Amino acid sequence: MLSIGRLRRSLLPVCAALAVCFSQSACQPQRTSDRLTVASAGRITSLDPAQASTFGALQLLSALGDTLYKRSSTGVLTASLAADLPRISDGGLTVTIPLREDVLFHDGTRFDAQAMAFSLRRFLEIGTLSYVVGDRISAIETPEPFLLRLRLSRPSSSLENLLTATNLTPVSPTAYRDHGDRFLNDRFVGTGPYRLTSFRSVQQRLEPFKRYWGAPPSNAGLDLIYLSNSTALFGAMRSGEVDVLLSDALDEDQRLALNRMADKGMLREGQGPALVIGYITLLSNAPPLQNAVLRRALALSLDRDLISMRVSHGLRPPLLSLVPRGLPGGDAEPWPRHDAAQARNLFIEAGYCNGKVFNLPFTYRSNVPADRLMALTWQAQIQRDLSDCLALTLDGVESTTVYRQLGEGAFQAVMLDWRGSYPDPEAYLAPLLSCRESRGSVCDRGEAAISGSFWTAPGLEDTLLRSDRSRGDARLQDLDIVERMAAEGAAYIPVWLVTPRAWSSTALATPEFDGNGQVILARLQEVD
Amino acid sequence: MGRGRELLRYTGTRLALAPLMLWLIATLVFLLLRVAPGDPVDAVLGSRAPEAAKAALRARLGLDQSIGQQYLDFLGGLLHGDLGQALINQEPVSGIIGKALPASLELSITALLVAAVAGLTVGFTAIARSEGRLDLAGRFYGIGTYALPPFWVAMLAQLLFAVTLGWLPVGGRFPPGMIPPAGSGFLIADSLLSGDWAALQGALRHLILPACTLGLLLSGVFTNALRLNLNRSLRSDYVEAARSRGLSETQVIVRHALPNALLPVLTIAGITVASLIGGALLIEVTFSWPGIALRLQESINQRDYPVVQGIVVVVAALVVLVSVAVDLLVALLDPRVRY
Repeated sequence: MLSIGRLRRSLLPVCAALAVCFSQSACQPQRTSDRLTVASAGRITSLDPAQASTFGALQLLSALGDTLYKRSSTGVLTASLAADLPRISDGGLTVTIPLREDVLFHDGTRFDAQAMAFSLRRFLEIGTLSYVVGDRISAIETPEPFLLRLRLSRPSSSLENLLTATNLTPVSPTAYRDHGDRFLNDRFVGTGPYRLTSFRSVQQRLEPFKRYWGAPPSNAGLDLIYLSNSTALFGAMRSGEVDVLLSDALDEDQRLALNRMADKGMLREGQGPALVIGYITLLSNAPPLQNAVLRRALALSLDRDLISMRVSHGLRPPLLSLVPRGLPGGDAEPWPRHDAAQARNLFIEAGYCNGKVFNLPFTYRSNVPADRLMALTWQAQIQRDLSDCLALTLDGVESTTVYRQLGEGAFQAVMLDWRGSYPDPEAYLAPLLSCRESRGSVCDRGEAAISGSFWTAPGLEDTLLRSDRSRGDARLQDLDIVERMAAEGAAYIPVWLVTPRAWSSTALATPEFDGNGQVILARLQEVD
Repeated sequence: MGRGRELLRYTGTRLALAPLMLWLIATLVFLLLRVAPGDPVDAVLGSRAPEAAKAALRARLGLDQSIGQQYLDFLGGLLHGDLGQALINQEPVSGIIGKALPASLELSITALLVAAVAGLTVGFTAIARSEGRLDLAGRFYGIGTYALPPFWVAMLAQLLFAVTLGWLPVGGRFPPGMIPPAGSGFLIADSLLSGDWAALQGALRHLILPACTLGLLLSGVFTNALRLNLNRSLRSDYVEAARSRGLSETQVIVRHALPNALLPVLTIAGITVASLIGGALLIEVTFSWPGIALRLQESINQRDYPVVQGIVVVVAALVVLVSVAVDLLVALLDPRVRY
């Protein structure tokens, strides 16, 4: 047998070699360029604005391209590729947009009305999200080289905000000549402050476009990288491996840890407008939740403040409306706050309590950690407040399956979230409440059925359509009516708002967001 | 029958059966994907897209055809070497696999080397005094590394070596500020061939943590196998005979016991390679390693049928090839083996 001493002697050189190896790599490499590294989750499979739908792709496109209008984080609409705000005439059926005359695409060709019309028509023809525009635009005309005219099938006050959507970013007709009717996934030729110099699904390189019409980027370029999980993203930011981190896929505890680091001055944290709502959908066309009293009791039983604190330490503020705060109509709070006593009264009115407990299966998306925490917290809160009236049975289902079965009425109560395609109340209310065919308060066909609530109310659809036609105070009034009807029906229970955050190292300025919830990458800059 | 002809017949039979096996696997995957809940059209358009838009996309992707027709189209394509296009972005599946497979192979091969070196080194504790400290340490290592959950160890390693100590990158395969060298997709080899030392250093730095984590977790298998077989060999008659001829203990171990003990380890290595090609999922996910397992997981979530089918078929084919190669190697090295 070999002695331990001999083995130890033979292992010593190996250990020494390993130590040397580690000492050689015992520090992070120095930055190899002046470019900033920005990390986010989500592989980018397509750079085509007609195809892009993920957070990462839209964020990237917002740096590579411009839209006709931009919305500031305070909600002000400003012209971008347009030279001025749209002129609306002819009873709201014609929208005329003057365009800038000094804009070039990254391939050197000129941006004009023809190019914009090409991009819009292309999106309407092949865009995977073209339904967002719907049948609103009936014709696109170019009466002058730098004048675009949209003929609408009906007046639409949300159109201006729709024109800020990243999916409507114009592309060069020359570069996309062979891709007029199909997607171009791995290249992008737009007008933005950056041009794409390298594309892989896990890493992209952006360099400033020297002939950009607007203010040049404040940095020397960007390397955008993809990391597949929250721990890796968090670790990369903490270790200083990346300069900026976007928060779209961070777990709550890691988001909180970064928030606290920012409070201590170890990082800088930027916040954008909250445009993602978390809400519960209740199946209202079948027993037992077809009883509106029961649905209202559930709405009253939800302690949003407690849930917000327990799940996110307050980083997800409670929500009492389907429209996020900051958008028109988002300041109203038509849904009731937590009131266990009133909830108990309603449960009693519905025939529960006093020995009869309402058992509600509550589904959450098992691959969304925040939803699972929300479900567990609500379950415990119900156990504390209303255990003689209500009991929640939790059921975690993968999100793909949830979305597939939602419109089939598979879930009595399910926790979901929604981000409007553009920052307008229309993009939140219509996808949840719109209904094409109904019987009384049951929606058989339409968005409300697809959303899994199957709920509508007499007059709701008309008010919803009117709210998209009206403007100013009249619109706010219509939006208020719609939300109050929805709150009364209680087929949806808003839970929280998700605020987009981004963190940068202290060597950089605080990340800034635009009104669409995207970080303005061109403004990332080093500070002294 | 001569041994050479026997081996040839065995190889021929295994390779002839491979298409049948691949067909069975492809069919199973095809059916399971269609049975599983979820819709690729929802993944592309979102669940709230109107039915008309969904129907149009379904028709464009060929998902409106009967399952039978889709199956025939899939098999027809497979016979012509066409794995189809991804539903999500219409990228050829062969291209997706071509990009992801080198990453997985690079990680797997390096991890296997780490596993073999660490596992076999520790496996030598079998020669130490039974129940002694070294023997117990070896046994503990073999069981411990085998039993530890990979995702937990990977996250700890990530937090310790990348976040806390800052020695190595948290994830990814290549430094963000650099463009990977063009070539085969094997970044280490491509960097060496192009003489790009900065790229080589970057690729190695990104490889160390996932490969060592995976390798050390696998090394327990090698440790246990070597310990078991070395113990058995050391108690065998031919070792006793060698000792009685007056050979030193080192000569007995190195020349007589070790070669016999290593043969089963070779088989285990083959099986491990085969399982690693598509099975390092947890490591790839934790370290954001853009390999085939990570791609498979993403494609399953997106219900991207052609990508899932293509990856499974290609990985299955590689597993078949590797297992045949290992069988042949063992047969060549060990004259006692008969098929």
